[in-house]
Amino acid sequence: MSRGDPLHRDEIPPGTLYLLILKTLARSGEMHGYEIANSIQRISDDVLQVEEGSLYPALQRMLIKGWVTAEWGTTAGNRRARYYKLTAAGRKQLAVEMSQFERVIGAITRVIEAV
Amino acid sequence: MNWLREVVRRFRMLVHRSQFDADLEEEMHLHLELRQQEHLDSGMTADSARAAARRRFGNATYLKEESRIAWGWEWFENLAQDVRYGARMLRKSPGFTAVAILTLALGIGANTAIFSVINGVLLSPLPYKNPQQLVVMRPNDSPPNVRDIQRQARAFSEGGGINVEKMDYMGATEPVQVRVGLINAGFLETLGVQPMLGRIISPGEDVQGGPRLAIVSNHFWQNYLGSDPHAVGYTIQLGGNSYTVIGVMPASFSPPAEHADVFVSLVVRDPGASAERDLHFMHTYWRLKEGVTLAQAQADMAAIDRRLAEQYPAEEKERKSQLVPLHEWLVGDVRSALLVLFGAVGLVLLISCANFASLLMMRAVAERRELVIRAALGAGRGRLIRKTLTESALLSVLGGAAGLLFAKLGTSMLLTLRPEELARLSGIHMDTRVLLFVFVVSVLTGIVFGMAPAWIAARADVAEALKESGRSTTASTMGHSIRKILVTSELAVALVLLVGAGLLIKGFSRLRSINPGFNSANVMTMYLQLPKTRYGEIPKQTQFRRELLTRLNSLPGVQAAMVTDIPLGRNYVGHRFVIAGRPPVAVGGEPKVQTLSVMGDYFHVMQIPLRAGRDFTPLDREGQPLSAIVNEEMVREFSPHENPIGMRIRWAGDTGPPQWMTIIGVAGDVKHSGLNQPTDPAVYTPFSQNDEAWRRFMTLAIRARDVSPRLVEEVKKQIWSVDGQIPVSDVHTMDDLIAVSLAQQRFNMLLLGLFAALALILAAVGIYGAMAYAVNQRTHEIGIRTALGAQRRDVLRLVVRDGAKIALFGIASGIAGALALTRLMASLLFEVKPTDPATFAGVAILLALVALAACYIPARRAMRVDPMVALRYE
Repeated sequence: MSRGDPLHRDEIPPGTLYLLILKTLARSGEMHGYEIANSIQRISDDVLQVEEGSLYPALQRMLIKGWVTAEWGTTAGNRRARYYKLTAAGRKQLAVEMSQFERVIGAITRVIEAV
Repeated sequence: MNWLREVVRRFRMLVHRSQFDADLEEEMHLHLELRQQEHLDSGMTADSARAAARRRFGNATYLKEESRIAWGWEWFENLAQDVRYGARMLRKSPGFTAVAILTLALGIGANTAIFSVINGVLLSPLPYKNPQQLVVMRPNDSPPNVRDIQRQARAFSEGGGINVEKMDYMGATEPVQVRVGLINAGFLETLGVQPMLGRIISPGEDVQGGPRLAIVSNHFWQNYLGSDPHAVGYTIQLGGNSYTVIGVMPASFSPPAEHADVFVSLVVRDPGASAERDLHFMHTYWRLKEGVTLAQAQADMAAIDRRLAEQYPAEEKERKSQLVPLHEWLVGDVRSALLVLFGAVGLVLLISCANFASLLMMRAVAERRELVIRAALGAGRGRLIRKTLTESALLSVLGGAAGLLFAKLGTSMLLTLRPEELARLSGIHMDTRVLLFVFVVSVLTGIVFGMAPAWIAARADVAEALKESGRSTTASTMGHSIRKILVTSELAVALVLLVGAGLLIKGFSRLRSINPGFNSANVMTMYLQLPKTRYGEIPKQTQFRRELLTRLNSLPGVQAAMVTDIPLGRNYVGHRFVIAGRPPVAVGGEPKVQTLSVMGDYFHVMQIPLRAGRDFTPLDREGQPLSAIVNEEMVREFSPHENPIGMRIRWAGDTGPPQWMTIIGVAGDVKHSGLNQPTDPAVYTPFSQNDEAWRRFMTLAIRARDVSPRLVEEVKKQIWSVDGQIPVSDVHTMDDLIAVSLAQQRFNMLLLGLFAALALILAAVGIYGAMAYAVNQRTHEIGIRTALGAQRRDVLRLVVRDGAKIALFGIASGIAGALALTRLMASLLFEVKPTDPATFAGVAILLALVALAACYIPARRAMRVDPMVALRYE
């Protein structure tokens, strides 16, 4: 069952959603879900299109792990929103995910470029 | 510690579940709205903006579910949902729920009550320090002997004795009788229980002329000393003397097998009795040294017995001390009875469970369509089993809770019924162990007996089940045959219980119908002991006795006599004897007879028949030729072919010139030690010709038209008018003594009878339920048969035949089971064989009748089936 955007956009590679969220939060401090989705999309020049709703289960799992904390705040438009913030454990996890990602990408690159 | 924090977070989520849902909802809603706004801003129409936002977001419901599942509580949510659902279903069918809960509650309640007793009597350790080291020495012993044994024994680390006596306590308002434990130093130390307040009596204070000190029980402290934490140092008036309270025992403390409110030193209170070597009145308890076995201690004791016998041949010649582990002594014969009852009550539980399972199964078949629809909609098999199991577990836990109420009632009933042997133990109550037992039993019941219906439900083949109309499918046929097996086994188990109860009832009625050898109606008894200080010599004793009997017999409507030991009074004296003119027997090898002294018209008062010869007359007194009356057993055993009248006997081992007694009469046999005990040969002699000064005790037997408390008071007044300082105790009617001697058998019979009745009712409900259900299922078939011309009689036969088959199978297998099991209760039966054919036959007929009656109600309904209605229903 596909819940993705029918327009042609690249799905984010599996397993990298945590990495993207962690990195986004690391860069920008506090954000609510909508901002995180927009941020990922914008910075990837609209290439990475998160299936937006799936952010939320991911954020819950990260809350359980203690990588992020959540607090209710107010948006610029004066709406109530839940802001997520990286914890120390989250920063550590970001480093772990980064190095893992680089290892995988490096390996893939080597396979592709091998003659 | 990361995992710990994670657990805390997960728990916090569980507690704030509804907040969690609201938060997630709000967050997602905001997301969708902002996205929609963005699309609107970029010029989309409202509708397509909303659609696009939703498309990009994905399936919100699914995502919410995912977010929840991430927290790992879905099993709990499912369970909660199942429980809620189950509770709703149970509320919807209150009849089914009530019957199921009641069925279980009866089984679990009866089990819990019996388990409370078993727990208190057999399982709980005695409330003393290292109770496995404690032994009791039988028979009772005298204070000088106890002191000698304390000094000499190498097997014991500690030991001591107690004798409980009633004394007057001058309370704040009026004198009351309290039970005073006369102890010697070592008694409390042996049991190893520390006082709650103050201290116990030290060996240095336990001497003649020592200070009058008292240790009070917790009960006494609460009732008479106002629970005063500073009670130590109080002065209390006991039996006319002032005692200083030096300690308060904890509430859990009670001496083994008896109750005492106050403990004082025996030698301080009664230096005279304390010095008597031949007054064996102390119950003594000893603690085995670390590593000493019972056999070693017994050997040590045998050596001490020999030494004492050599040293004091007059008093201690026949010493034969026996050590019994305290727990064994306290539990005694009750053990086998309790185990049989526990087995029986376990069978009741089994029947309850079978009924429960059968009810659930009926229900499972009835609900099959619903389950099938759920399965068709995608509910997993596991989930369906869980739903059914949740329901049965819910029922069984409710049943367990209701069972606790029954148990509460049952336990208090048991306590009022309990025989003397159980009364010795005070630890019968429901503790956590009992509650745990109930919980485990009920949950297991729910799961184990809910399993079969759940399995049947889950096996449902969706397509098959939806096609057919709910009748006679493979699953329901299988359910039906399982139910038949369940009901058959219920009947079988019920039969086993009924046979057990029947055997006990028969044994008990045999026991009741035994002639005790006397007429117990309208006879009052009481025990007197003359103080040695003033009644050391026999003439003094005789004078008192004669004076007392004269006074009592002058009361209107009263006939009084006295005997050393009253029948069923638990006391017994035996002497060896020699018959004149018979070949001599080795010293110490002479036969033994029960020896009783009487005064007054004892045989007349007790209505013991005289079989031959004559009764004692007032002329059979001191200074006259010695006379004796023997019982029939004595004649049977020692002079079966010779007229006993005129034969002469004497006590063996007498020093000095032989004192020959002439047998002047033969009295009827008396059941002295219990209705179920054999009669021993016995010799009665006149008190006034008694040559043993230590027999300063007697039991009054008083026959009067009206055996009332007023009479007791009147008698006491007469006693005290002869001597104002004679203690009177053990006031009982003869009927009471018989009742007490039957208490254990009555207890067994009542309980097993109760269980059998429960079993019968449950089994009847079971077979009724099964037949009613079968008739219900076959309404259609019966309708067709009736339409084709079957008579009501035929329909009746159709249904009853089914039930009769079940009943016959049940009864047959029950008889087989009973033959195997009743052997276990042989020790509880009196003059009834465990395979008594009459009992078996009677019980089988009873059960068959009940089963047929239970079938008849549904059969009548079947007869009334209107073929038109039955067929149209299709």
